[in-house]
Amino acid sequence: MGAEEAWLLAAIPAGVFLVLALFGRALPRGGDYLGVAAILSSFLLFFVVLVDFLDTPGKLGPVVNDIEWSSIGENFDLRMGIYVDPITIVMFAVVTTVALMVNIFSIGYMKGEPRYYWFFAVLQLFVASMLLLVMADNLLLVYISWELVGVCSFLLIGFYWEKRSATEAAKKAFVTTRIGDVGLLIGILMLWKATGTFNIQEIIHHVEEGGVGQNYLFAAVAFVFLGCMGKSAQVPFHVWLPDAMEGPTPVSALIHAATMVVAGVYLTARLLPLFEVADGALLMVTIVGLTTALLTGFMALAQTDIKKVLAYSTVGQLGFMFVALGAGHPAVAMFHLMTHAFFKALLFLGSGSVIHATHHNQEMDKLGGLWKKMPITGTTFFIGSLALAGLPPLAGFWSKDEIFVVLNDKWGAWAVVILAFAAVMTAFYTTRLFIRTFMGTPRDKDVHDHTEESGLVMTGPLMFLAFLAVVSGFVVFHGVGKALGFPGGITEFIFLPHHGPHKYHFDLAWAAASVAMGATGLLLAGWMYWGNSTKRSTQLAEAQPGLYDLIRNKFYFDELYQAGIDRGMLGFSYVVSWFDRYVVNDTGVDGSAQVTGFSGGVLKYLQTGRLPNYAMAVAVGVVALAVVGLVVRG
Amino acid sequence: MRDYTIFIPEYIAAGSAVGIIGIELFWPKFRKDWLAYITAVAALGWFVAGLFFIGKDPNSFQGLIRSDDFTTYFRLLAAGIVIVVALMSATHMRTRTKTVAEYYGLLLVAGCGMVYMAAATELLTAYIALELLSFSLYILVGYLKRDNLSSEASLKYILLGAFSSAMFLYGMSLIYGVTGTTYYEGIAEGLAARGPGTDPAVIVGMMLILAGVGFKVSAAPFHMWAPDAYQGAPLPITAFLSTASKAAGFALILRLFTGALIVDAAEWRWAVAALAAVTMTLGNLVAIQQSNLKRLVAYSSIGQVGYMLITIAAIGYGDAKVGQDASSALLLHIAGYVIATLALFAALTAAYNRTGREDIAGLRGLAETQPFLALVITIALFSFAGLPPFAGFATKLFMFQGATTDELLWVVGLAVLNSFISLYYYLMIVRQMYLFDPIGDVGRWKVSPVLWCLAAVLMVGVLFIGVYPGPVFELTERAAQPLFDAAGLGGVQVQRP
Repeated sequence: MGAEEAWLLAAIPAGVFLVLALFGRALPRGGDYLGVAAILSSFLLFFVVLVDFLDTPGKLGPVVNDIEWSSIGENFDLRMGIYVDPITIVMFAVVTTVALMVNIFSIGYMKGEPRYYWFFAVLQLFVASMLLLVMADNLLLVYISWELVGVCSFLLIGFYWEKRSATEAAKKAFVTTRIGDVGLLIGILMLWKATGTFNIQEIIHHVEEGGVGQNYLFAAVAFVFLGCMGKSAQVPFHVWLPDAMEGPTPVSALIHAATMVVAGVYLTARLLPLFEVADGALLMVTIVGLTTALLTGFMALAQTDIKKVLAYSTVGQLGFMFVALGAGHPAVAMFHLMTHAFFKALLFLGSGSVIHATHHNQEMDKLGGLWKKMPITGTTFFIGSLALAGLPPLAGFWSKDEIFVVLNDKWGAWAVVILAFAAVMTAFYTTRLFIRTFMGTPRDKDVHDHTEESGLVMTGPLMFLAFLAVVSGFVVFHGVGKALGFPGGITEFIFLPHHGPHKYHFDLAWAAASVAMGATGLLLAGWMYWGNSTKRSTQLAEAQPGLYDLIRNKFYFDELYQAGIDRGMLGFSYVVSWFDRYVVNDTGVDGSAQVTGFSGGVLKYLQTGRLPNYAMAVAVGVVALAVVGLVVRG
Repeated sequence: MRDYTIFIPEYIAAGSAVGIIGIELFWPKFRKDWLAYITAVAALGWFVAGLFFIGKDPNSFQGLIRSDDFTTYFRLLAAGIVIVVALMSATHMRTRTKTVAEYYGLLLVAGCGMVYMAAATELLTAYIALELLSFSLYILVGYLKRDNLSSEASLKYILLGAFSSAMFLYGMSLIYGVTGTTYYEGIAEGLAARGPGTDPAVIVGMMLILAGVGFKVSAAPFHMWAPDAYQGAPLPITAFLSTASKAAGFALILRLFTGALIVDAAEWRWAVAALAAVTMTLGNLVAIQQSNLKRLVAYSSIGQVGYMLITIAAIGYGDAKVGQDASSALLLHIAGYVIATLALFAALTAAYNRTGREDIAGLRGLAETQPFLALVITIALFSFAGLPPFAGFATKLFMFQGATTDELLWVVGLAVLNSFISLYYYLMIVRQMYLFDPIGDVGRWKVSPVLWCLAAVLMVGVLFIGVYPGPVFELTERAAQPLFDAAGLGGVQVQRP
């Protein structure tokens, strides 16, 4: 057993998915223990893979293991396999750790829900697909697992399918990401057309040799990036993620915070060499990341639903990761991806603990003063909030700090200013969230009285994740990395072959600036919301009503899209259908026989003159073809 | 040389057809659903007999009919479709009509017609085979003669079918006038020997032939009959129409266009590309507006035909290598499409037997009352939409790959866009099944074991082709091989400027 057998990580949950889907209903407790056992074995296997990987003689060279999938003729050889390199290893660590915590947490959170077994079954399928996605060695397999995680997300967002809002959200998420996926597929096919292979490393090699023209490459990369934007909910595709919060909260933690939504970041990091060769692609990534971080920062300011705030913050943090990629530093992006996964999963599970304890109350207006009632949830949530706000020495600080450094090196001050503004807002709304939920006096006495701390099955994962939110940032240091068996800090561990390692060095000036951003947002929010007061924020909202409405309504993106769909797509299809029905005389939706059946037989129907029109369509078609063939082309 | 052994499989099928009609004639009390099982067994015999022809040396009957791997492929496909459709019909037809022997007999005969459309290497033989299939279908579509919709559909189909047959014949006669022969091989030589310059007779002839076969596969604007016929026909016959009839049309197109018309590819390929673009766009957009399941499937299958036509255009644009890749991918796609369609109809038939409704809303809450059927339908629809890991994704991918020549990039792009649009109306059905409560207070109900097994087997087929298409692709590649080295055309590939 070694890194070559890493496919087992995905195979075990996939097998358990089949068992749970088929027999879960009949198993005691819906077979949740099988789910936990499957993820636990993947989690443990990860360490086996890690040790083997670090011991491989070629020091951190990628490990490849593939089989022939379909081979026809000489130039049509498709191989499918796995590719394990440091990026994969980091994703393994994130996915298996968070998935394990979420699985354990769900035992408590989902207790007594209908379709309990189905929840665990789909969770297994998701983990399997996600692990497959991060170890796929070719774009075809990436696309397949990409769609699979999308389907799992669809199923889990719509888990409470009795709720109309949940089914609408599921559909919205599926369709929105599918728009990006069409781009991804086109991009993949374009890359295949130019290089003749789906294998990621071969494509990169081919492109770096200069085998693909600049404009063509940029188009292909832009299409692939469209898919990444859809999956990672970047503006203008961000609309689906806040709605996706309709799903059970553990799902939000696993899929819509820590793992699936970072797939776009992962794929961009994986293909970054292509972005570097294509002129302007990095700038595109940076601008998308900056725009997203800034806009969603604003949107989060005015949300009152705990999970929605966290959702917008997730989108914003994904923007931070794209900014790091746009600066050409996959290592920094992956580092932030990892720390963010831990502290954001912590925050989501913490909010899940609150929601569970307050009997599905997630409006901040009805909460408050929960710290004393839920000390463990409160403390761990506090740690998560500080990590998100980016205060030292928590994990979020180290990775965010590094993003600023590389961003400044690559694009200069203008980009830093925008991102700094987003960082201040992050600290602000995080503090607001924490104060409004846990501090002050309870706003709804009834809710408050019936609240008590969740059991160990839920608080255990919280404490473990809080621990990671504190320490996981330290792996950036040379000494810590060495102690863990890496060749150095994490940024030296993750690098693309031609890049060379990126050495982390602590810069006091940047660190101070970074702390200042966090502190500014924190103090501002404290000044505004401390002590149960909303006087200042209300004043502000009333002073700037236009701005407040704009933010509150999330810049009217949803309304804009709805209008576009109604007037554009459906309108167009209606026109074509009308044309088909009346101009060339189709019988219409319900068939005309019912109508004519009453009025006496088929022959009479024939005299209504519709059939000749059918024939006319055929004749016109032939004549048109012949005329084009003879006159236009002749 | 007259070698009658190449007809043995169809002797079995046609002989059984006569036998089945005889059984009911002389023994009217014979159980109607047993006739269906006898048909299935006969078709199985036909299938097994077909298996013996795999890999055999090509054999031609007087230059009219060719027995090679291509023929064998469609023979197996036809027999398979007949097996499934017969089993699907067993309970469905028993409750709806008194005499069913002709129904099953004609099913077998129609299958034979399909085989000879694939096997014919001469225009009149191809025409007769096409009419054998069509005439059987005219009767089958109108088989529920007390049902107005069924009769209307049949009559429309007959009249339009006759109209398009006339066009096909006229096109044939023009080509005959230019080349002096109706043999594919001779036509190819005749067209190659023709002087440079545009000959109106050739162009008009090809366009007429294109219209004739376009009608058969229901390519727009020759598609108008399809929604009516699909809606009026008994449900299993709708399944047969959307699988066998389409596959047969493509078999004829492949044989004719690669064998005879390829030498003048420049004259027809643009038209095929245009038809492909129009067909897929129209099919998918109009499908969005449908509320009747059969009509929706009709338009969705029109969209699918649009995708398939791209490969025919690619055969015209590319060299022999591209042509071969495209044809084998098309054959693979047809296999995946046929299996997914049959899975869909097996499930729909089971649901229809229970609810008696054929509008989309009739499937409301199916996930609760019959989760297995809902799953099968969902998988079939996702396969049509080209979502991985179902058959439609892999086969469409191979097909688009094979067809991506520089001239056709725009059509392929349009096809990818269309696949996305199609997801919209497939999701409408999925939404009805999963997101709404069943009408009334109905509990769970059971599916008849035959339909259950049928749906399960076909669903596994959809998944298998989607996850591991390699073995099937190897088969289809062998099936496409003879098209490109048949009758000395292997190396010729005369392309006119």
